[in-house]
Amino acid sequence: MEDVAPKIIEILKKNMKEPPETIPLETPLSDLDIESLDLAVIVFDIEDTFGIEIPYNANEEVEDFKTVGSVVDKVKELVAANNA
Amino acid sequence: MTNNTKRRVVVTGMGVVSSIGTGADDFWSAIKSGKCGISEPTIYPIEDLQIKIAGEVKDFDPKAAGLSKQFLMADRYSQFAGIAAREAVKQSGIEMPLKPGEGARCAAIVGSGIGGISTMEDSYRGLFELKKRATHPLTLLKTIGSSAPAHVSIEYGITGPCFGVVSACSTATHSIGLVYNMIREGMIDFGLGGAAEASLAWGTTRAWQGMRVLSPNGLFPFSKHRNGTVLAEGAGILMLEDYERAKERGANILAEIKGFGMTADAADMVNPSIDGTAGAMELALQDADVSPTDIDYINAHGTATMVNDVNETRSIKRVFGDSAKDTPVSSTKSMHGHALGAGGGIEAVACIKAMEENFLPPTIGFDEPGDECDLDYIPNEGRSADINYVMSNSFAFGGLNAVLVFGPAPA
Repeated sequence: MEDVAPKIIEILKKNMKEPPETIPLETPLSDLDIESLDLAVIVFDIEDTFGIEIPYNANEEVEDFKTVGSVVDKVKELVAANNA
Repeated sequence: MTNNTKRRVVVTGMGVVSSIGTGADDFWSAIKSGKCGISEPTIYPIEDLQIKIAGEVKDFDPKAAGLSKQFLMADRYSQFAGIAAREAVKQSGIEMPLKPGEGARCAAIVGSGIGGISTMEDSYRGLFELKKRATHPLTLLKTIGSSAPAHVSIEYGITGPCFGVVSACSTATHSIGLVYNMIREGMIDFGLGGAAEASLAWGTTRAWQGMRVLSPNGLFPFSKHRNGTVLAEGAGILMLEDYERAKERGANILAEIKGFGMTADAADMVNPSIDGTAGAMELALQDADVSPTDIDYINAHGTATMVNDVNETRSIKRVFGDSAKDTPVSSTKSMHGHALGAGGGIEAVACIKAMEENFLPPTIGFDEPGDECDLDYIPNEGRSADINYVMSNSFAFGGLNAVLVFGPAPA
């Protein structure tokens, strides 16, 4: 589970044109250079990497997609549910 | 050459296939009663999908619908086009198929967002999953996005301009606009314009799911609880005709096409711009030579995504200024779903019926206005009104915008 955060940060960076050196977990996603279509690609990438399905809808504002850390927590939860 | 010296273009026939009814009369009575065609689909498996609703044309049986053999061998999208075209031709009273020598002055511009994608999907499943040795020999002909206009041309002896337009959710509106311009400029005298879509399939739904723009529970335009769009299928096709020709043969004229405007945002694949969408509305009004206060009803693009509905509301306010709040706007997609390329064709039929019956179609499923959605969206129940001029908006992915203005039959 400890590799979830670095993997997600790596995916975020991969999908940004000019990614910052470091992305702290408390960073709001809205502060990153990510547009709605990028987010769909990022979610796909995360699903593919962790073999999970994330119920994300671009039309809804949800807590799970507020910060980098909340995405990490959600993914950990889904991975755990998958392994249960 | 100014607008006045160009030919006038009228609608003498229309046909529709939709999740709430096939045939303009059934479709319209469904619209009037606020019927919703969105439900669990039956033509593809949904067990492992997140999105389990669609605006399917239920119980569609091409044979029972009396389609000719060439249409029976075509993809479902072409079959929808065949049914809508047949209705438009019949209503126009034009004797078709055209005799040799007559067809060159007629067009068949029938587009589709994606063509026969279900045929392709079935075929790939056969090859990749079931390890079949070959695909069905008609796979290619059924799939290509120009098969619907080709079939329509064969059916009716149309030997003039014939092709499909591709502009995602603006396809039908662009197609109708093109036929309008061809007639106006004297290239042809009459023609079919519209689009058909039948892309409801397991793989396509997966692709749409990946965009994260679909609602799991319904299409609620401009509403607080809206949470995305809902895919649908169908067709909408108009018979357009040079006014003088229609008058001469004593045709029943349903409406006049007054104006057409098209723009591209040239900005983003998914986020619409006010400049692009408002620009298309302005061009259509200029072309129609009417002012915003003349417009009695706007059939909105109204997809029920967060971004479209706010952007469209802002655009209407920019173009209509003070009169925006007094201009009724509705999204009939709330009832028939988002039929993608065919949307503008289906909505054109709704617009013409609205003028014919002086009745404003509702936006159903409306709870309370969404943030920044502060126009009269004709919530939940349609109502009677004096309707002379109508605007129909279509805004597509990629920022491809097309707008039509319809007016009454010339006196």
